[in-house]
Amino acid sequence: MNAVLRAVLPPLLFALGLIALWQAVCELRLVSPVFLPAPTRAFGELWTRALDGTLWTPLLATTRRMVLGWFLASLAGVALGAAIGLTPAVRDLLEPTLEFLRPLPASAMIPVAILFWGLSEQMAAFVIAFGSIWPVLMSSIYGFGNVRVRLQEVSEMLGLTRLEFLWKIAIPSAMPDILAGMRSGLAVSLILAVVTEMQASLPGLGYEVFLAQRSFRSAELFAGLIMLGLLGVVINHGLELAERRILRWRPKRA
Amino acid sequence: MSLADRQISTPAGPPIPAGDRMPAGAPALSIRDVSVTFGAATNRPVLKDITFDVREGEFLSIVGPSGCGKTTLLRLFAGLMAPTSGSIQFDGKPVAGPSRQRAIVFQDYTNALLPWRTVAGNIALSLERHVPSRAARDAQVAALIAKMGLERAAQQFPTQLSGGMQQRVQIARCLAQQPRIMLMDEPFGALDAITRQTLQDDLLKLAAETRMTTVFITHDLEEAIYLGDRVYVLGANPGRIIETIEVGLPKPRNQLTTREDPKFLAHRHHLFGLMQGH
Repeated sequence: MNAVLRAVLPPLLFALGLIALWQAVCELRLVSPVFLPAPTRAFGELWTRALDGTLWTPLLATTRRMVLGWFLASLAGVALGAAIGLTPAVRDLLEPTLEFLRPLPASAMIPVAILFWGLSEQMAAFVIAFGSIWPVLMSSIYGFGNVRVRLQEVSEMLGLTRLEFLWKIAIPSAMPDILAGMRSGLAVSLILAVVTEMQASLPGLGYEVFLAQRSFRSAELFAGLIMLGLLGVVINHGLELAERRILRWRPKRA
Repeated sequence: MSLADRQISTPAGPPIPAGDRMPAGAPALSIRDVSVTFGAATNRPVLKDITFDVREGEFLSIVGPSGCGKTTLLRLFAGLMAPTSGSIQFDGKPVAGPSRQRAIVFQDYTNALLPWRTVAGNIALSLERHVPSRAARDAQVAALIAKMGLERAAQQFPTQLSGGMQQRVQIARCLAQQPRIMLMDEPFGALDAITRQTLQDDLLKLAAETRMTTVFITHDLEEAIYLGDRVYVLGANPGRIIETIEVGLPKPRNQLTTREDPKFLAHRHHLFGLMQGH
């Protein structure tokens, strides 16, 4: 209990200190409340919206959009990563194209995606997936490309089929890299969910923040930001827990 | 003492058949004029003009200094690589690639085991497609776990085990594929002296029980003599056979009395001299 307290207390105090500073800046009127609401107002706004339900609809919409795009990116990233990492011929075939696509900012794909799909969920899914595939893809290529040679030999000696090798050896072996990539991809997908909402007026937290800014409702704007931050924390933590469970075979680090 | 020092309990569970026997006298493996050269043909060969037979059911030790191509030789037997010239026949047929009839125990057990699978899961790996019934498979795995003295480790992951225990898991996994021949590449090279002796004795018991043909590679002269029915000595640069010894020590071997046997000492003396010359 004492150890938990010692671990949790300093970072908590630091965050509270920042909020207190923010409150002080507002109390002293160093910044106009039109631009910067006091934390009491921002959190108050969040509270009211949580109670009257107007928080949940955009939160759900943003979360769904982000998770869908991320899921598609992860699926495609792992599949492509396996193909590239395990077969040099595929690597030679695809790598130049991927090197061209990779530096393209995903937000630059929004106009293209709108041309194809209009202001729709498919459009958002495409843009989010396009941006968040790279971390998963890159780490999957690495993970599948570094399956131990010894394990490939073991698989040959035991007469495993190609499919068995993939399921029983290659995927579990690449799993730590896949999961690390998926975690980075999730952060990107949250950013892109917000950006697409702002660009394409899709209902969600990002769009709410955008509207709040347009109409100088600073409390609402900051409430939205706080919610986005919390969303990131919760999802990242959830993934961390899942990762620890999936990789429980790994020796614990001291 | 750790679990690694446990004795093999005999017999445990259903016996493990070792496949159909060849008629007595026919070689399990026959190697004819085998040479291996890595890279350009002008390079020095790693192995040169190797010719010998591995007899059905025997325990053959191959000993040699590092760099003499011992491991390469074993990989040829396994079918993990092909010779540059010459032929290798197993059971009268050319070795064209890996086969479940030939099991290999690698020296680096840490790399050869699947770290994400438990001990039981690692052993089951070699049975999953061949024994589709879950119950039958579990029974076979349990028998092997008992045979190798791994009962208390069954649900642990390899990284939680000592080196000796991990090597037991690898041997169990090889036994699970019911091979005709067991190829062992310095399997005890990385283990401490006590664990190594226990595993040597367990291996001898296992070999006697299953009457499985075994090729055991080592750079340790005493280990080669202690375990083997015969010992081949390889010389380096290029790797070639420089001596063959019929060990002729009584079985079962004993860590104290066998190693004090004048015959053992004579072999050791002879081999030591050979290795010094290289």
